[in-house]
Amino acid sequence: MLAYLVRRLGQNLVTLFLIVTLAFFLVQAQPGDYTSVYAQDPKLTPEVRAQIQADFGLDKPLGEQYLLHLRNSFTGNFGISFGHYPRTVMSVIVERAPRTAVLFLTATVISFYIGFVQGKTLAWRRGGPLEVSMTVSGAVLSTVFTPWYALMMIWLFAFQMGWFPLGKFLDPLLWREAHVNADYVFNRMLLTGGAFMGFVMLVILASRWTERSGFRARFLPGLPVLTWWVPAVLVGALVAVVAWSFSGVGHLAWDIVKHMVLPIFTLTSISFAGTMLLTRNSMLETLREDFVTAARAKGLPERAVRDKHAARNALLPVVTSLVYSLAFAIDGSVIIESIFSWPGLGLTLLQAVRGQDLPLVMAAFVFIGIFALTAHLVADLLYAYLDPRIRYS
Amino acid sequence: MMEPILQVSGLSLRYDTRQGEVRAVEDVSFDVLPGQVMGLVGESGSGKTSVAMSLMRLLPDNARIAGGQVLFRGEDLLSMGPDEVRSYRWNRISMIFQAAMNSLDPVYRVGDQIMEAMEAHDPGVTTQAAQERIRDLFELVGLDPRLAQRYPHEYSGGMRQRAVIAMSLACQPDLVIADEPTTALDVIVQDRILRRLKDIQRDLQMSMIYITHDLAVVAEVTDRVGVMYAGKLVEAGSTADVFNSPVHPYTSALLSVFPSIRGPKRELATLAGEPPNLIDPPHGCRFHPRCPYATDPCLTEEPPIVDRDGHWAACWNPLPVSAGPPGAGLAAGPGNQQG
Amino acid sequence: MIRQPDLQPSDPSYETGGGPGGKPVGIRAARIRLALRGLRESWSIFVESKIGVIGLAVIAVFALMAISHPVLMATIWDEATYDPVTGYAFDQTEQPAPPSWKHPLGTDPLGRDVLSQLLSSTSSEFILGIVAAVVTVTIATTIGAVAAYYGGIADTLIMRLADLVVSLPSLSLLIVLSALFELNLFMLAILIGVLGGFGGSAIIFKSQALGVTVKPYIEAARVAGGGRFHIILVHIIPNLLPLSFLYMMFAVTGAIFSEAILSYLGLLNIRMSWGIMIHTANTAGYLLGGAKYWWLIVPAGASITLLCSTFYLVGRALDEVANPRLRRR
Repeated sequence: MLAYLVRRLGQNLVTLFLIVTLAFFLVQAQPGDYTSVYAQDPKLTPEVRAQIQADFGLDKPLGEQYLLHLRNSFTGNFGISFGHYPRTVMSVIVERAPRTAVLFLTATVISFYIGFVQGKTLAWRRGGPLEVSMTVSGAVLSTVFTPWYALMMIWLFAFQMGWFPLGKFLDPLLWREAHVNADYVFNRMLLTGGAFMGFVMLVILASRWTERSGFRARFLPGLPVLTWWVPAVLVGALVAVVAWSFSGVGHLAWDIVKHMVLPIFTLTSISFAGTMLLTRNSMLETLREDFVTAARAKGLPERAVRDKHAARNALLPVVTSLVYSLAFAIDGSVIIESIFSWPGLGLTLLQAVRGQDLPLVMAAFVFIGIFALTAHLVADLLYAYLDPRIRYS
Repeated sequence: MMEPILQVSGLSLRYDTRQGEVRAVEDVSFDVLPGQVMGLVGESGSGKTSVAMSLMRLLPDNARIAGGQVLFRGEDLLSMGPDEVRSYRWNRISMIFQAAMNSLDPVYRVGDQIMEAMEAHDPGVTTQAAQERIRDLFELVGLDPRLAQRYPHEYSGGMRQRAVIAMSLACQPDLVIADEPTTALDVIVQDRILRRLKDIQRDLQMSMIYITHDLAVVAEVTDRVGVMYAGKLVEAGSTADVFNSPVHPYTSALLSVFPSIRGPKRELATLAGEPPNLIDPPHGCRFHPRCPYATDPCLTEEPPIVDRDGHWAACWNPLPVSAGPPGAGLAAGPGNQQG
Repeated sequence: MIRQPDLQPSDPSYETGGGPGGKPVGIRAARIRLALRGLRESWSIFVESKIGVIGLAVIAVFALMAISHPVLMATIWDEATYDPVTGYAFDQTEQPAPPSWKHPLGTDPLGRDVLSQLLSSTSSEFILGIVAAVVTVTIATTIGAVAAYYGGIADTLIMRLADLVVSLPSLSLLIVLSALFELNLFMLAILIGVLGGFGGSAIIFKSQALGVTVKPYIEAARVAGGGRFHIILVHIIPNLLPLSFLYMMFAVTGAIFSEAILSYLGLLNIRMSWGIMIHTANTAGYLLGGAKYWWLIVPAGASITLLCSTFYLVGRALDEVANPRLRRR
């Protein structure tokens, strides 16, 4: 297990190194000179220009520039953004990255869950109109032209129904009188979300422990099995809502939440289909395994055969290929951000590309890469946890 | 005569496939007596496993039972509703699967998989009682009880097979169906497990259906044997009778293909031709295209039953009693001393 | 000894072919017969899933659309009014104009005929998709076969590279590239093809090729003195062809989709495409007009979605042909 994780971590670090290298050489290979862009920008003072010269070794030979670039990348010094002058690239990234993280993570987790449950059901009830309609709508949703679909969603739910704001991260009118800035509220929202997840996980782990150790059987024989997560979610949500409503910035947080719903829903609905179709295939193959027949022969209820044995094993290849689909999901969030004007890394990348803000382009790209790699690592961890053949080797 | 625990009569089974309807099992009838081992032997594709699966009601979706009756202690298994079937499975009839390697779920501990079966049929069983039972079962099949806490991938092939046997005994079933349980193992391990299985069967006075293509195993394990060819039961009788004086030419051919360690050295006869296509099986006797004794009626009409004291065969040209046992001397395995 | 390069003792066609004394010609005929029978069988499986057939029909409709544009331009459409880029509908007083007899799908904010734009873009979408797919599959097949056959360092390098490419969000990379370089349709097709070929498909093709390299006839070919290049070309790559076909479908979807996104974002140097049509409508601010200006967004958006999902569905139907485990029985 440990060896597996160390190897995976190592591979990801090498990949990160390659991404950083790629970023450098892409800039070098582009027609026109990075240096001249810097030199000609009228907003830069001579001192700043000198600083950049020194930091990036722009007058030095290519090899030395590359080494400096590596050092700068790993210390987070990406220079100064042209578009957001005089902010450093890093400060822009630090502000934007969590916003992408929330969008991407929430959508990925929800869409994975829904896709898995749907795919499982499709394979279980093979044939029939449900399968055809779900396969077709799944294929359409996963290949739908994302901007078009997102605009339709905005038009329908925000414009026509007026349920959600049209886009953006927050409502400026509301925030004008606020004594705190958006990052302050948003970071606390992130913390709340993390604490909530942690709490639910702990309760689930605890319920598992009481099962396995026989604690429940001995002391609480009347209690139903393994449904603890339901009250845990309810209690956690209640505590969070109460705490926020007394915090004084609850309405601001609510504003951000309102802006979050539609992009997350849109992103979820386009990415669940991939998982669904994959789960269906994986499940169809698993259903042919002997241990599924054996589970049935043992007289287990069909539900247990499906969920405990077939779906549990079908999950493994789905998680493996989750690694491949993560890059796709990140691209999806880039598009969604640009359409919903959600100020995350994707929108930052696009604006930087349009404004020829090369330092920011590179940094946004590297951080999108870091995102992808971190997500991969998590998927690898999950896989190792799910498959005892890796866990115990 | 003892009341049979299982009576299969006239069982027929079809599979719908892209190429047409496969008549995989045709009019198969046999009884299993309490405490006895009934063998089903035949080439692959002869319908042995289909018979076993229909006894467990575990047929794939494209299979259809076209006729017949399976009475387990007088109750018809084929007409049971899903819930009733579920309560029968494992509790009354359990199974040792062909591919023991794959019949354990890789993501759960072996002990938990056995416990799961017990809990499904006895929801009130305490964890402790179940664990004790698993310990006993593991000892019974010759496994270290501590292995119950391990995952299948940590087991060797032989160990998995033993675990699968232990699992089949978990709910003290009346009948165990063993479907080629040792084919994937090497000969030494195979022999050891077979002996252990036979011992357990004798000790527990368990009824068993043993499915195999390996005649040596049949000789060693079974009390009675049925020979299947192309979906039909062509001959059945006590193992000693069938081995010593086969009636059906197919049985005789099978026995002559089968080399004997104890018998005299002989040339190996081979069975010419391929098993027939069951979408459009041969008319008359299904064996006639390969049968050296085939005559005109064989080509057109169903063969009659030749019954010699409960040892019967379906054949137009049965071999004479004195035909001489091609596999003579084989039938002296432990199974026959009892039967 | 006469070497018969494409006839090895354990080659499946040898047994079913012209028999032990069969001449190479007979064997070749037998091979073709066998291949035809395989095709017929595959076709019947393919037809069974209605999705695949519907998909083929939709692709045929799009192909007709692609052909119809030059025909219409040459016959009933005059260039001044109907050119997809430079035309202007002088007959309309207000742009964008709603659908009318002269302009069945209306005109865009710049007064250009939407139907003409839609039809003229179809052929470039096909070209883009096919070029990208061919590049992807060629690269993936070759390096997959090489990695599987040679193993060792070549395998490690190719697979690490594939891991890298797979973990890159390719669309983001394309956006970055479009910031640095002027991308036209052809370059984009090549780029998408290269990214696909060195990425995920390489991994899949390698594992497929690995299954082939352990077959006895490869060993036999090696013993018979077949060169490595020859073995890869004659024995391994043909076995990857069904999979190639399947992956081409998915590659087409990916290529058309990426192009549409980049065009929509206005990052490409392309004359006209469905993505650009939406881009034009968007920059002119007509998108949230929703149903009122539907002809500006629905035809292009629906075409992109339909063509992408059709290739995808055909790919899935082919998957059921190539992967027996997914079949119903």
